[in-house]
Amino acid sequence: MEYEIVSAPTYSAVECHLNAGESIVGDSGAMAWMTDSIQTQTSTRGGLLKGLKRKLLAGESFFQNTFTAENGPGTIAFAPGAAGDIATYELSNNELILERGAFLASHTNVDCDSKWDGFRGLLNEGMFLLRVGGSGTLFFHSYGSLEVVDVESEYIVDNGYAVAWEPTLEYQLTRGRKIRSFLFSDQLLLRFSGRGRLWVQSRSPQTLAAWVYPFRNVESKDDD
Amino acid sequence: MEIEILGQGAFESALVHLQPGETFVSESGAMYRASTNVDIDVTTHSRSSGGFLSGIKRLFAGENFFFSTYSTDDGQQGEVGLAPTHQGEVHVIEMDGSSDWLCAGGSFLGASSSINIDTQFQGFKGFLTGESVSFIKASGQGQLLVAAYGRIVSTQINAELTVDTGHVVAFEDTLQYTLNKAGGSWFRSWLGGEGIVLNFSGSGRILTQSHNPSEFGKMLGPRLPDRSA
Repeated sequence: MEYEIVSAPTYSAVECHLNAGESIVGDSGAMAWMTDSIQTQTSTRGGLLKGLKRKLLAGESFFQNTFTAENGPGTIAFAPGAAGDIATYELSNNELILERGAFLASHTNVDCDSKWDGFRGLLNEGMFLLRVGGSGTLFFHSYGSLEVVDVESEYIVDNGYAVAWEPTLEYQLTRGRKIRSFLFSDQLLLRFSGRGRLWVQSRSPQTLAAWVYPFRNVESKDDD
Repeated sequence: MEIEILGQGAFESALVHLQPGETFVSESGAMYRASTNVDIDVTTHSRSSGGFLSGIKRLFAGENFFFSTYSTDDGQQGEVGLAPTHQGEVHVIEMDGSSDWLCAGGSFLGASSSINIDTQFQGFKGFLTGESVSFIKASGQGQLLVAAYGRIVSTQINAELTVDTGHVVAFEDTLQYTLNKAGGSWFRSWLGGEGIVLNFSGSGRILTQSHNPSEFGKMLGPRLPDRSA
């Protein structure tokens, strides 16, 4: 399979050129366009439980679509919901950790499993993450630009801005260090340690949604 | 202190490289990445600009009540990344102390702690159009970080210029400015949908943004479920 990322870095989409018989897995709703030789198959990929876990826990889709070039070669394009960038990662029997909603598409030998990643840090707050394993190409996306940070000892990222990281990095959920920060700010931080690569996005969907909130109409009191 | 602008065009953000002993201030919550030796403190005021009352004033200016301050705590250099809410560009204003700058409430992203931040009330006349006009005043020497919705255009004004308040990012205090209605009378201005404008005269620099965030908000808000009062 050959691919190219087009319109990067602001309006990135990925175009995949499949040879006859080749397949690719896309997140539900991510397919933008495809040629007529491509056939779609929708499944939970790995069974009902795995689909449910993916949907309920990791904020990904219950169903994933497998696209196969059945009658000769074909092209399919995937585009994420938000404007931003797309990164590729070549897996070879290793794992990558993705934040909720970051998965875009992957080779069929790549397996997505959502995982409750336990209680980390002082707050006893855990988080659901997507652990992606297997072998093949993985595409994931960001809102805003995608910044690569090669962590050599420690690094801090706001929880809403971390996109993906290599499992060689340990992480803890924390808040700002001072007590005053604990009282006045609800910023949740991810504190990474170890050595490995980390991907950070430069905009937050939550922040934008919170900004829009006051522009909504006020609910009228009388219900007639 | 060196400020690196990350990204290009649509999604710029700022990476502030702190030397030991240097402090940077931003609106609280703007930090999205940092080295672990950066100490993050949330305060109600930045250096020498009055406590609680200033915090309240900032609240009225459409800004967060709280500022975050960043400094390294181990004598090494560190970095802190600041991300704006909207799509758009980030700009560094190098202030040499010769003139103050006024920055629109929603455009302020951060400043070196040597800059004194204060809120000025500008005009209460916006009630008819629903637009609030407020500016933060920055004085002193250092770097001021502003964020725009869309592109930033820097213009040197030598004559007169009229700019819609929603498109103003920041301007030099050497400019004279009067708040005005765009359409001759308040009623006509309201009818025309053009709210409050600033009439600039004199000479000085102004940064404008290509898009008006409030217009974007007004476009999205009514399409969402009503909020409770």
